[in-house]
Amino acid sequence: MTSILETFSNGLGISLVVFLPLVSAVFILFIPKKQEFLIKIATLGSSLVTFGLSLIVAYQFDYDNAHMFQLGNKLTWIESINSNYEIGIDGISLPLLLLSTFISVLAIIYSFEHLPEPVNPKGMMSLILILETGMNGTFVALDLILFFVFFELVLLPMYFMIGIWGDRTVRSVAGFKNQIETRLYASIKFFVFTLFGSAFMLLGFLGLYFRGSKTFSIPELIELGTSGAFTGTFATLVFAVLFLGFAVKVPMWPLHTWLPDAHTAAPTVGSVLLAAILLKLGSYGFVRIALPILPEQAKAWAPAIAILAAIGIIYGSLACLAQTDLKRLIAFSSVGHMGFVMLGISSLTSIGINAAMIGMVAHGIITGLLFFISGSMAHTYHTRDMDRLGGNMKLLPKTGALLGFTAMASLGLPGLAGFWGEFMALLGAYNPLPGLNITVFRTSMVAGAIGTVLTAGYLLWMLQRVNLGEPKEEWIGQDLHDADNYELAAWIPLVILTVLIGIFPKLIFGSTNDAVISLVTKAFGG
Amino acid sequence: MEAEISINYLAISTELIVIFTIVGTITLDLIFTKKSKYLVALFALVGSLISFIPIIFQWANYSKAMVLFDGSYVIDKFSIILKGLFILVTYLTFLLSINFVESDTYYEGEYYFLLLCSLLGALVVASSRDLLTIFIGIELASGPMFLLSGWRKGDPKSNEGAIKFFLLGVLSASLILYGFSLLYGVTGKIIFSEIVSSLSATGLHQSPVVLLSSILILAGIGFKISVVPFHSWAPDTYEGSPLPVTAYLSISSKATGFVALIILFTKVFYESGTSWGVILVLISGATMFIGNLSALQQTNPIRLLAYSSIAQAGFILAPIAVAGITGNYNDGVYASVTYLVIYAFMNMGAFLVVNILIKASGSENIYEWGGLAKDSPMTGIFSVVFFFSLAGIPPLGGWFAKFVVFRSLLSTGEIFGLSLGIIGAINAVIALVYYARVSKIIWMDDSPAGERVITVPNPLKVVGFISLALTLLAGVFPGIFSSLGEASAIFFSS
Repeated sequence: MTSILETFSNGLGISLVVFLPLVSAVFILFIPKKQEFLIKIATLGSSLVTFGLSLIVAYQFDYDNAHMFQLGNKLTWIESINSNYEIGIDGISLPLLLLSTFISVLAIIYSFEHLPEPVNPKGMMSLILILETGMNGTFVALDLILFFVFFELVLLPMYFMIGIWGDRTVRSVAGFKNQIETRLYASIKFFVFTLFGSAFMLLGFLGLYFRGSKTFSIPELIELGTSGAFTGTFATLVFAVLFLGFAVKVPMWPLHTWLPDAHTAAPTVGSVLLAAILLKLGSYGFVRIALPILPEQAKAWAPAIAILAAIGIIYGSLACLAQTDLKRLIAFSSVGHMGFVMLGISSLTSIGINAAMIGMVAHGIITGLLFFISGSMAHTYHTRDMDRLGGNMKLLPKTGALLGFTAMASLGLPGLAGFWGEFMALLGAYNPLPGLNITVFRTSMVAGAIGTVLTAGYLLWMLQRVNLGEPKEEWIGQDLHDADNYELAAWIPLVILTVLIGIFPKLIFGSTNDAVISLVTKAFGG
Repeated sequence: MEAEISINYLAISTELIVIFTIVGTITLDLIFTKKSKYLVALFALVGSLISFIPIIFQWANYSKAMVLFDGSYVIDKFSIILKGLFILVTYLTFLLSINFVESDTYYEGEYYFLLLCSLLGALVVASSRDLLTIFIGIELASGPMFLLSGWRKGDPKSNEGAIKFFLLGVLSASLILYGFSLLYGVTGKIIFSEIVSSLSATGLHQSPVVLLSSILILAGIGFKISVVPFHSWAPDTYEGSPLPVTAYLSISSKATGFVALIILFTKVFYESGTSWGVILVLISGATMFIGNLSALQQTNPIRLLAYSSIAQAGFILAPIAVAGITGNYNDGVYASVTYLVIYAFMNMGAFLVVNILIKASGSENIYEWGGLAKDSPMTGIFSVVFFFSLAGIPPLGGWFAKFVVFRSLLSTGEIFGLSLGIIGAINAVIALVYYARVSKIIWMDDSPAGERVITVPNPLKVVGFISLALTLLAGVFPGIFSSLGEASAIFFSS
C-alpha cells in the first residue's frame, strides 16, 4: 500500500489526473453512438475519478513546502532536443488544477440533459475529456515544450465545440461577403487569434532555450532567469512574444476581440469551460513562466501591463453597459475581471499576485456559474436579448435567485469569492514593487476602482432588466421550465464554493501564499 | 593496375529487389489476362514490402557508411532512412491506387511498373555521391511521373497537366545538366568529394562560375520541389493526375528533389553557402507566403493540397537555407529530414481523405462537402487529424515538424534565421484558415438533402490507419522521428 502511495506521489498521481480523461475519451469513441446513457455515465465516472485523484494529490501535497514543485517526476521525452516529460505542482498550480478537474465534472453533469443541436453526446463528452487533459496538463507541465503542447491541445476541442454546437444565428460580419453563422465565424476567430499568439510564444521559448544552456525545464530556466542570464534586447523581445502568447489567451485589451464572439457563440458548457479554465491558462503562463524567468523584463513591462489591464477593466465595464445580449455582457465582464487579475500580476508584489491567484479561481467559479445560468436561460427563453427578458424572478424563481446571487458575487460583494481578487489587486496596485512607476500604478488603481463601481452598475442594471419587474407579455402563459436537477447539481457546488472561498479565502491563500512569496522574493527580491 | 570489380551486393540489395520487382511486374503483366491483373498489383505490393527488409537489416547492423563504386554510391544512415521513407510512401501509394486503377480502364501493369521505376530513381538519389549517378537518379524518379500524370487520357485537364509537367521537367533537367557541366568543366571531376577538394585547391569555391552552377542547379531542382517561382506547374499537374499519382508527386517526388538538393548543396556547395543561402532564404519565404495565400482561395481540394504542399516546401527548405548562411549544416539537415518524414505521412493521409470525400460527394468543390463527417465519422476524424497536423496543431505530428524547423532557424540567432522564423510563424496562422476550413465544412456545415453512403475500401483504411498511427506517434512521442533526423544529420555531414 505504501509503495502505491509512493509511486503515486512520484508523478503517477498527477500523470493520471492529466491522462485519464484522454484515455477515457479514446474508449468512449469505441462505444456505439446509440448507447447514450453508457457514454454519459462513463464520462462522468472518468471525470469523477479524475477529480478524486486530484483531491488525493491535494491531500498528499506538502503545504509547508508549497513553494517547491512536488509530486512530480522527470522522464525522457524528446532526447535530441533535451525536452523532458517534467511535471510537478506547487502552491500556485494546485488550486487551478483542482478548479479544472472540478469544473469539468460539473460541465459533464450539465451536459447530461442540456446539449443544443445536434445533441450528439458522444462527440461532446469526448471533446470535454480531451479538453480536460489539455487544461490539467498545462497546469502541471514543467517543461516549456510540454507546456506548449498542452496549451495548444485545448484549441481543437474548443474549436469543434463552438463550431458544431454553437449559436446558429446568421449575421453579417465585416470582411465576409455573405452572411455567416455566428458559430462558424467565432470558432475560427478563436482558433486564429490563439494560434497567432502561441506561434510567437513558441519562438520565445526557443529563444530561452538557446540562450539558457539548451534546456526547456521551467525550474532550471527560473534558476537561470533569477540569476540574470537573460538580458538586453534579446530578453525584451522574448518577453514581448511570451506576452503576446499569454495576453491573447487571458485576453487582455486590445487582443480580447475573439472573446465576446467565442462566448456568445459557444454552447453553454463551452462558455463555462472557456471562461472558467481556458482564460486562466494565459494568466497562469504569466505567473509560471514570464515573471520568474524574465524578472527584469517583467519589471520593465509591468507599467504597460498595468495600463492595459486598467483599460481592460474600464473598457470591459463600459462595453457591458452597452450590451443587450446577456451572454455577451458576461463575456465582456470577463474582460474586466481578467483585467483585475492582470493588474494584480503587474504589481509584481506578493499581495498582487495572490490577488491574481484568488481572482482566477473566483472568476472561474463565478463566471462559470454565470455562463451556466445564462446558457440555461437562453435555452428556456430562446433569446438572450435582455430587452425581451424581464420578470425572471417570477417566471423562473430558482434560476432567478441563483442569477441574483451570482451577479452579487461577480460584482465583488464582500463575503463572497469575487471580493478578494478585486480588493487585493487594487491594494497591490496602490503599493507596487519598489522601483516601478508609482504614478502609473496609482492611476491604474483609480481606474480599477472606478471599474468596480461600473461593474456594480452594469450587473445591477442587468438584474433589473432581466430578473426584476413584471414578465413581458410574450412569456405569460408559456410553459417555461425552471432549473432541473441536472442543472442544480452542476450549479449548487459552485454556489457553495463561492461562499466558502468568500468567507475562508485561506482555502486558496493557504496554498498560494508561500509559493507567491517565494516567487516574488526570488525574482524581484522584494 | 588490374581493375578488379567487386560489388557489395548486400549493400545494394534494396535496389536489386526493386529492379527484380520492376522486371517481374512488366513480365507478369504480359502473362496475365485482364481478369487476373490484380495479381500484378499484388506482386508489386509484395515486392516493395520485401525491399524494405534489407533496409531494416542495414539499420540494425549499422556500423559505418558503406562506400561503393569508388565513392559514387554510399549507404549511410541518411540514405537508409530516406530509402525507407521512399519505399513506405510507394507502398502506401500502391494501396491507395488499387481501387483507383481497377475502377477505370487503366493499364494496370504499366502503372505499377512506372511507379516502381520512379521509386528506383528515388533510391538511387539517396545514395548517389557523384554528378552522373545523381542525375540519373533524379531523372529516373521524375521520368515515369510524366507518363503517370497524363494517365487519364480522356481528360483534357490530365493532358494539360502532363504536358506542362513534361515541358518544365525537361527544362529543369537541362538546367541541372548545365549546372553539372560547369562544375565538371571547372574541376574535371564527377565525384562530390573530389570536386570539393579540387575547388578548394584551386580556390574556386567562391568563384562566379561555381555560384552560377549552384543557381542553375537550384533552379532545376526548384521545379522538382515546386518552390516559388518554379511552382506554377504543380497545381495544374496535381489536378490532372490520378489522385494516387498526385499524392506520390507531392510526397515522394518532392522528397526526392529535396534529397538531391540537400546532397548537392551540403556536399558540393557547402563552402559557398553564404551566397546561395540568401537566395534560398528569399525563395523559402516567398514559397510559404505565395503557397499559403493561394491555397486560401482554392475551392478544389486537390489544388488546395497542391498549394499547401508548395507552402510546406517552403518550410522544408528554410533550415537548409539558413544552414547555408550559418554553416550549421547538421542542424539544417536534421530539421529538413525530420520535417520530410513527418510531412510524408500526414500529407498521404490528407490525400486519402480527399480521395474518399471526392468519391463520396461526387464533387471536386469543397464547399459541396457539407456534413460529410456525419455520414462517415471515421473519415471525419481522419480529416481532422491530417489537416490539422499539416497546420501544425499539437498533439498531431505536424507541430513537431514545424518545431524542429523553428528550432534550427533560431539556433544561431542571426537575422536571416530570425526573419524566416517570424515569416514561418505568420504563415502557420494563415495556413490554419484553409486547413481548418475543410474540417469546418465536413463537420459543421449542413448536409444537402439525400442520403450519401460512404464506403471506404479496405486498402484505403489501411493507408488511413498507418498514416494516422504515424502522425499521432510523431506528435506524442516525437523522439522517435527526431532521432531519425538526428542520425541522418550526424552521419551525413561526417
